[in-house]
Amino acid sequence: MRKLALLIAVVSVPFAVGACGSSSEGGATGGEITISQSSQPDFLDPALSYTVNGWEPQWLVYTPPVTYRHEEGEAGTQLIPGVAKAMPKVSNGGKTYTFTLRKGLKYSDGKPVKASDWEHTIKRVLNLESGGSFFFEGIEGAGEYVDSGKSDGDISGIETDDQSGEVTISLEKADGQFMNVLAMNFSGIVPSDTPFKNMSKTPPPGVGPYEFTKSVPNREFVMEQVKGFDIPEIPKGKVDKITTKIIKSANRQTDQVIKGDLDYMQDPPLPDRLPEVRSKYSDRYKEYTTVSTYYFFMNTRVPPFDKQEVREAVNHAIDSGALTRLFGGRLAPECNFLPSSLPGYEKIEPCPFGAPDGPADLDKARALIEDAGEEGTAVEVYTNNDENRPEIGQYYADLLNKIGLKAELKSLDGGVYFQTIGNAKTKAATGFANWFEDFPHPGNFLFLVDGEAIQPTNNQNFGNVDDPELNKLIDTVQAGSADDEEVQQAAAEADRLLIEKSYVAPYGSEKRSIFLSERMDFENCKSFHPVYNTDYSAFCLKE
Amino acid sequence: MARFAVRRLMQMLFVMFAVSVLTFLIFNVIPNSDPAERMAGKQPTERQIAAIRTEWGFDEPLHVQYATTMKKVFTGDLVSYTTQLDVLEEIAKGVPRTLSLALGAAVLWMVVAVGFGLLGAMRAGGLADKVITVLALVGISLPVFWIGALMNYYLGFKAGIFDDGGYVELTKDPIGWAYHLILPWTALALLFIGIYSRILRSNLLDTMNEDFVRTARAKGLSERRVLVRHVLRNSLIPFVTLWGLDFGLVVGGGAILTETVFDLEGVGQFAADSIAQFDVPPVLAVVMFGAFFIVVLNAVVDILYAYLDPRIRLT
Amino acid sequence: MVEAEGLGPWRAALRRLRRNRMALAFGLLFMMLVASAFAAPVWEGAAGRGPLANNLDGKIMVEGKPQNVVSLQGVPIDPTWGKEYFLGADQNGRDSMVRLLYGARNSLLIGILAALITTLVAVAVGLVAGYFRGPVDGVIRTVLDVIWAFPVVLLGVALGTALALGGLKVGPIVIAGDSKLIPIFVIAVVYVPYLARPVRGQVLSLREKEFVEAARAQGAGPLRTMFSEILPNLSSTVVVFFPILVANAILLEAALSFLGAGVRAPEPSWGNMIDSGVERIVTAPHLAIAPGLMLVLTVLALNVFGDGVRDAFDPRAKLRMET
Repeated sequence: MRKLALLIAVVSVPFAVGACGSSSEGGATGGEITISQSSQPDFLDPALSYTVNGWEPQWLVYTPPVTYRHEEGEAGTQLIPGVAKAMPKVSNGGKTYTFTLRKGLKYSDGKPVKASDWEHTIKRVLNLESGGSFFFEGIEGAGEYVDSGKSDGDISGIETDDQSGEVTISLEKADGQFMNVLAMNFSGIVPSDTPFKNMSKTPPPGVGPYEFTKSVPNREFVMEQVKGFDIPEIPKGKVDKITTKIIKSANRQTDQVIKGDLDYMQDPPLPDRLPEVRSKYSDRYKEYTTVSTYYFFMNTRVPPFDKQEVREAVNHAIDSGALTRLFGGRLAPECNFLPSSLPGYEKIEPCPFGAPDGPADLDKARALIEDAGEEGTAVEVYTNNDENRPEIGQYYADLLNKIGLKAELKSLDGGVYFQTIGNAKTKAATGFANWFEDFPHPGNFLFLVDGEAIQPTNNQNFGNVDDPELNKLIDTVQAGSADDEEVQQAAAEADRLLIEKSYVAPYGSEKRSIFLSERMDFENCKSFHPVYNTDYSAFCLKE
Repeated sequence: MARFAVRRLMQMLFVMFAVSVLTFLIFNVIPNSDPAERMAGKQPTERQIAAIRTEWGFDEPLHVQYATTMKKVFTGDLVSYTTQLDVLEEIAKGVPRTLSLALGAAVLWMVVAVGFGLLGAMRAGGLADKVITVLALVGISLPVFWIGALMNYYLGFKAGIFDDGGYVELTKDPIGWAYHLILPWTALALLFIGIYSRILRSNLLDTMNEDFVRTARAKGLSERRVLVRHVLRNSLIPFVTLWGLDFGLVVGGGAILTETVFDLEGVGQFAADSIAQFDVPPVLAVVMFGAFFIVVLNAVVDILYAYLDPRIRLT
Repeated sequence: MVEAEGLGPWRAALRRLRRNRMALAFGLLFMMLVASAFAAPVWEGAAGRGPLANNLDGKIMVEGKPQNVVSLQGVPIDPTWGKEYFLGADQNGRDSMVRLLYGARNSLLIGILAALITTLVAVAVGLVAGYFRGPVDGVIRTVLDVIWAFPVVLLGVALGTALALGGLKVGPIVIAGDSKLIPIFVIAVVYVPYLARPVRGQVLSLREKEFVEAARAQGAGPLRTMFSEILPNLSSTVVVFFPILVANAILLEAALSFLGAGVRAPEPSWGNMIDSGVERIVTAPHLAIAPGLMLVLTVLALNVFGDGVRDAFDPRAKLRMET
């Protein structure tokens, strides 16, 4: 009886046989599924969304000029043309990017796609003061456009020709990451009549295998397959309709996936439920290592972390076995700062602080603190209240106490955490930090320790790492593209330097999960993308 | 009488005003963080932060910011800092849930408390009375977030008798609606059952000794008739006004804990989430919403009392 | 209702209280809970581990076999009912029993201190408002109305959250955001109207009494009248209210900590232990049950004792408190 209400929403359309997805090796085509997220994605608007929760669904709705292959692992980091006919041409010493739109492209509402729409797309990002503005400020005239405050102003560095579909972008200086920026969700093209405001309640049409047909913030949103979508190498999707419900309690989501009321949950089950899920439902649960790094920042401008011995002591003391437990086993321990599947990653071996999955060396750490004369020095340890962060912070504070420092934990709300520790006035000594990739380029991680990127507010270089040698390497990394040999070498060297000088204390990458209902075809229809996580276009029901 | 009512209404408006100012100050004067920096995302430039400041008016003096925000509350243009969603719309989504919770719980606690109170008064000093007294004391000692979580786990998750949390719309599935709300109703009502049954019991005992009840008894009316017709009716008047006040309190965010534990996503939970994000507009709106219920019901009760008992106006 | 004389009614009330076995038993229970909080270091000594000591990848011997304190999947050990990990471990491998006892210290301390402050402020405010009446009373009543109009938990959480980030700076006084003084202050403020209103009402009627007028006629100033004539007559109200106030302050502290706006981790309090325990209710239900039981016992003890006190001192006093 009590399941009735939920079942109504999931009444499935008889499986349509025929029109098949891109790489279908099995599983049915068609049908409707219901999935869940734990909270409303920040925005259902490509100009504003800057979280995995938002990007995961939007990847299938808003196709940028270039995009990534819909594959797992390294294959998924390869750039392919999206709404652009071919990969953009780079000229003028890396300062000019030119691409032409595919002929006959249509938005999900049937309107034709014009080249000038893309300038509008970027204007929305800049004018709405989106978190993504940063990536487009290198375009000539972008700053003037923002300063003018006029939404209908012109960005001098973007020239478009609706006739030929050509778009030319001029940058102020060469940017090796710009090709990846063109593949970001922010670049996903929307029509020129899209208003300059947050459109999360009525997401604009886009070019993609799915479209948003309903959005009730904090309750649910619905994606339906777009008939007639056709871009080579971008799968058309298999299920007709995906309803995403916002369900706060991860436990309830887990129960519903087990019972079959939900077909997929975006967040992993809580540690409390993982043992049960892993043992009982191993035929529909799988963990994937994300391209992410979890680390403790140590502020080189705040004693005692200005001393390398102290930072080394922390690295010696950190015990990934302990931290893995705090993740309920969802942690892949790592010695490097760069995550293992990022271009430029070279495993640091032997790790100067002992094998990443080996035991910690507290005696050594204590000795180092003693040598540095910092025994009993008071330090403020920062963490936030999201997920397992309180436990991580409590573990870390206790650890610092064990090696001879006098730690005091400051626990902040998740909503204000990074801004607070990134404010120079806070003088945050050390604490929790993490980063998930925006795109597969080592520059997207190394900016976190770039001395030239330090700013008084909203600083992302929490440790104020400012090493001339490192800065030079990062410059090299940022100037070239990710597949450039020189870039990869510089990245690997920067990574090694970071660990040698103990500027950060990394401990691993987080594993996320795909947990599907019994009626989903787990064998054939799941795909975990390195940038966009779960690929909904791979989902299908059992045949 | 009319003058008293007008004065009371003016006072009410002033309290609402003060509540809104206070809430605004809590989040703007106590040194916390700059909303512009918070909204600017992961790696903004100074330029972008400055643009946000201008657009949202964070560079204006505080009283101007307050005035603009309040204007938006009344014109319905209030927008969240974090999600940029319309605040009043989000609150409206939570209202049916909070009302469902509050109404059901209020009916439950009223019915049970009247039963307990009557039984306790009729058998004053007896075993039933003692048991009820103990139960009532236990009821007011149970933190709702703890007993709620345990009910959710043992009755919902483990035994599978109820769904653990969540909400089903009344219009879509009335049975599912009630079914999902049984646990939250019970958890929330426990405290009030404790309070109300004790108050009713002592009110009843007081009334029983009044002259008119003695007269009724002397007239030879049956004990039961006396109790229902005369005693209960007279004891219920203050009781019902109290019920009105508490109902206002629960609707106005008092159920924040119950909503959080059972994941009902009502107004209270919305407020709690917004507070954690330092998202001032929704917090301001919910506090005003809550204060409105409390203040209005307080005023109505005061005016009613004044109408019934002219002496009140003197103090 | 309230006699003018000093000790007579007090003695009578205490005698009545002494005869109430149930109230005394629960009063004793409360004293035992307080004593257990004082004894926390003793248990810590026996368990060999402090309330903040993590032990994530340690092992202990249970029935002669080594066992993980926290399993590789993060599941904490169940109660051993021995010296170490008597009530099992929490997710950080800390000893739950040790934390429970130290948590008792925080919860009781905050509850009692907050109730004391509330009482002091409420009596002072009620006294002044009731005695002077007029505009002074108007201002005070409005302030109380404003606090009253806030939903209690909402106001507490908002204040607690806002203060936690920046702390409180009033002139030279600086209180850090994670200080326990913050929840004490927040709880104290929130409950002032609940006591100040009845006190004010009582003062209003007392000031018209003959003995007060007599004192005034003899030339006693307002201060002296308030302190030596009116204040002593408020004592029974305060005594009746106090245990219930403490009970409610403890409950509110737990609620605030449960919502993350009270006692800050890693410091234990019953509220934040319930909060993190609920997250492990499937694999380690004892983590939520134990602190909750302590909380209920404490509050129940205070309520039953408070009930006895009320019956003894002022059986007709109508008390209403809620969280």
